[in-house]
Amino acid sequence: MDAANSASAAGAAAALDAARRELIQDTIRGCAGRLAAERYADRVDTLLQRLFFDAAPAAQPVAILALGGYGRRHLTLHSDVDILVLFEGSIGADDERFLNGFLNPLWDLHLVVGHQVRELADFARLETDNPEFLLALLDARRVVGDPALHSRFVAAFHRPETHASILELLQRLIDDRHEKFNGTLYQLEPDTKDAPGALRDLLAVRTIARLTDPGLLGRGPADPARLDDAEDFLLRVRSHVHLERKRNQNVLSHELQETAAQALGYAGEPQQRVERLMSDYFRHARIVSRSLEWARKTAPIPVGVNLVQSNDGIRFVDPQRAAREPHTWLHAFQAAIDHGSAVADEALALIQQHVDRYAAEDFFPTADSQQALWHFLKPRPGLYARLSEMHDRGLLGRIFPEFQGIMSRVVRDFYHKYTVDEHTLLTIRNLERLTDPPTPSRQRFAGLLGDLAAPELLVLSLLFHDVGKWRDEDHAVESVRLARQMFLRLPLPAESRAIVEFLIEHHLRMSMVAFRRDTEDPEIVKHFADLVGIEERLKMLCLLTLVDIEAVSLETLTPWREELLWRLYVDTYNHLTLGYGDERIQHDQSGVADLLAGRPPELSEPEIRHFLEGLPRRYLQLFERDAIYRHVRLSREITPDHVHAALERKGAMWELTVVTLDKPFLFSNICGVLSSFGMDILRGHAMTNPNGLVLDIFQFTDEDRYLELNADGRERFLDVLEAAVSGRLDVTARLHAREHSVLYDGMVRRFAPVIHADNHSSRRYTILDIIASNAIGLLHRISRVISRHGCDVDLVLIATEGAKAIDVFHITADGAKLRAVAEVELMADLQRMLEGHDATD
Amino acid sequence: MQLIKAIIRPNKVDEVREALEKLSISGMTVTEVRGHGKQKGHTAIYRGKEYNVSLLPKMEIEVVVDDAAADDAVKAIIQAARTGEIGDGRVFVIPVARSYRIRTGEQAT
Repeated sequence: MDAANSASAAGAAAALDAARRELIQDTIRGCAGRLAAERYADRVDTLLQRLFFDAAPAAQPVAILALGGYGRRHLTLHSDVDILVLFEGSIGADDERFLNGFLNPLWDLHLVVGHQVRELADFARLETDNPEFLLALLDARRVVGDPALHSRFVAAFHRPETHASILELLQRLIDDRHEKFNGTLYQLEPDTKDAPGALRDLLAVRTIARLTDPGLLGRGPADPARLDDAEDFLLRVRSHVHLERKRNQNVLSHELQETAAQALGYAGEPQQRVERLMSDYFRHARIVSRSLEWARKTAPIPVGVNLVQSNDGIRFVDPQRAAREPHTWLHAFQAAIDHGSAVADEALALIQQHVDRYAAEDFFPTADSQQALWHFLKPRPGLYARLSEMHDRGLLGRIFPEFQGIMSRVVRDFYHKYTVDEHTLLTIRNLERLTDPPTPSRQRFAGLLGDLAAPELLVLSLLFHDVGKWRDEDHAVESVRLARQMFLRLPLPAESRAIVEFLIEHHLRMSMVAFRRDTEDPEIVKHFADLVGIEERLKMLCLLTLVDIEAVSLETLTPWREELLWRLYVDTYNHLTLGYGDERIQHDQSGVADLLAGRPPELSEPEIRHFLEGLPRRYLQLFERDAIYRHVRLSREITPDHVHAALERKGAMWELTVVTLDKPFLFSNICGVLSSFGMDILRGHAMTNPNGLVLDIFQFTDEDRYLELNADGRERFLDVLEAAVSGRLDVTARLHAREHSVLYDGMVRRFAPVIHADNHSSRRYTILDIIASNAIGLLHRISRVISRHGCDVDLVLIATEGAKAIDVFHITADGAKLRAVAEVELMADLQRMLEGHDATD
Repeated sequence: MQLIKAIIRPNKVDEVREALEKLSISGMTVTEVRGHGKQKGHTAIYRGKEYNVSLLPKMEIEVVVDDAAADDAVKAIIQAARTGEIGDGRVFVIPVARSYRIRTGEQAT
């Protein structure tokens, strides 16, 4: 040790000694309460600052944070000095030197230091196995070191989910601790720190309030000032116990009660003094105990940034902050839906008070916030109530100024019973009720809702379907115009926009056809099917029509109308899924000219025509123009055994597009590869044109997050796909291993499979409608059986409804429909396979 | 007076009403009903499962006309509601003994 260091150490020892003498004097006088503890903590701060600067500097930003009681500046004579040495990044040799230079003198001073050394990145994950440390971190206070690093720590640590976890852990710690004291505060020899009603309980009350509602203590059974008094008293007693015991011991024993009573200045005989001391102790402990009990019962639960759930609903913790952050308001309504709660009047009043200060753009300034809006619009119980609250407080009309025009709008006709805005919101309530259908007849419609890939688009369409009624002219056209105006602020992918615009434009069409046209006439159904084009739109339009009629008045949607609507749905669905194979894209097909006119320069007209010709017409309705151009590009220079594929993330799902040339077992192999990676195929289309070009599109979820977690996952997946299609890889064997993995045991839910063969609906194809429990490899197994029977899989529609897989295969054998015998044999084999009795599979 | 009761296809209501209006017959009652006659319903298939559609949605129109106008009214209904296929419906003509206005209690003529 050099002279300078030696002098510094001596100085530090002297400073600490002076601080301790001061605290001991306070303790002897019986006044080592809050102020004395704070003063002593400040002295220790000064000491640490001194040692920090004396130590060899670290190679990176570092900060010393006081934790726990020291962080709160409540340091008694023998309290542990808990500190966190926080580094910005990985700790190197220079940092080790700094640590030694800083910590060794502390130990030399015989301070009981509880130190933790962490890197900032350590706080990305919550150490839930160390609840005491987490609680201590809540009180972290920078003593010395880099302030920016401290700010980054605060941002990393103080997150709503962290607070929620700490609250949960705290409740458990309280219960465990109380159990050790038999749950009673009336201890004859109380532990001034751990006993019920003592210092830890007091800290717990304050922590609960701090994490949930800073105003909570003001509404509790005891005035906050009385809690301060209790704390001061308990600290004075604890200081005395520390002084007498000469260590960090907190039990106020009978023996110490006498000395403490004297030190704290109680008058009278020794016995009387003790009785008065203990009477005061229990009085303070009762206040603490009641406050804690009340806080545990009434404290709101953190449910998001600046949001808590209390008895009256979702509230903002910091209303001033909320008033400044309109982009967070939707979170309150989302939290209310998520937690089956309302938004508290106080929060609604705040929104109402400030909403006029903001423009539509202020509520959704980022792509993430816009995504949150679409998520919010998913039909779930509570959506109508929350939208109504937003509407009542002027928020809905600010978010969607287009909606404002129909506020309390009266349109006089013979049937509508409500104003246009309320009618609109009621449609959403009716849709939300389908999540728990009120009658058995609604189950069938509820199934459609469960089928939808993006039900929020339906809700958005409902919100806008009548906004054009602010004018007296053709409101559907005006509603579409207003929706397009909204899309300029809140962009959606082109295909989503197209769905919304379609639904708004044609929102009256299905009721008109169902109730005013002869739906027994196949031509009427065909025309309607041509209009909707694809099943997803049909389902959405059907649901929109149902809930729209129901929202007209209580009497409008009769079971009779419901039945007519359902029949039109079924007939149209069957037309779309069973008959579409006969309707192929022709040279002069409408829509093709537009595609050619708008083509990118690198795509030639013959190239596009060659790709399209012979594909089912519904292809043009299934895909937006840009997607079609992508498919054309994928089809370039395709040769046997080659696969041109694209893998794209679409929200929570992935989409695989495969272009290749047809061959036996092709569809089965592609499905098998997907399943072998644990992908759950939810929707899809497989199409073949007369030239043998195959276009398969699968939407799936990556249950094991393989593609997300593995940097080269896509490449590996596509390699396996190519190997499987070219026959270099046995997909069945690969899948077999997956199916027999212990991880997948018991995942298959069984119900009786349904297979229906239809040789009448299509001129070209035998159609197999297969409904079975969704399971890994199901499509692979079905199509393998079909291929084993020498059949070609020409077209496939893949859908899922919850745990149910609904697949429609259009197949041929030797280019023709199946003969009766072949059909029976195939059906029997499929049935055996679906029932799990197929030994050859 | 005759009560004419017609069971027709739901999509034919507007045409029937217009046809009756041309005969200056304006008062009518329209009810949503379900039933079957010779058109016994059919078996529909949805997602591979068959379900029987035995009772078909129809509209019932009731109108009371003078004896002299009854034949023209029946013809007008038939012409407007006819498609030529099974399921077009039926028209019943029932004599009305008396009728009263509820508001005044007077016997209507």
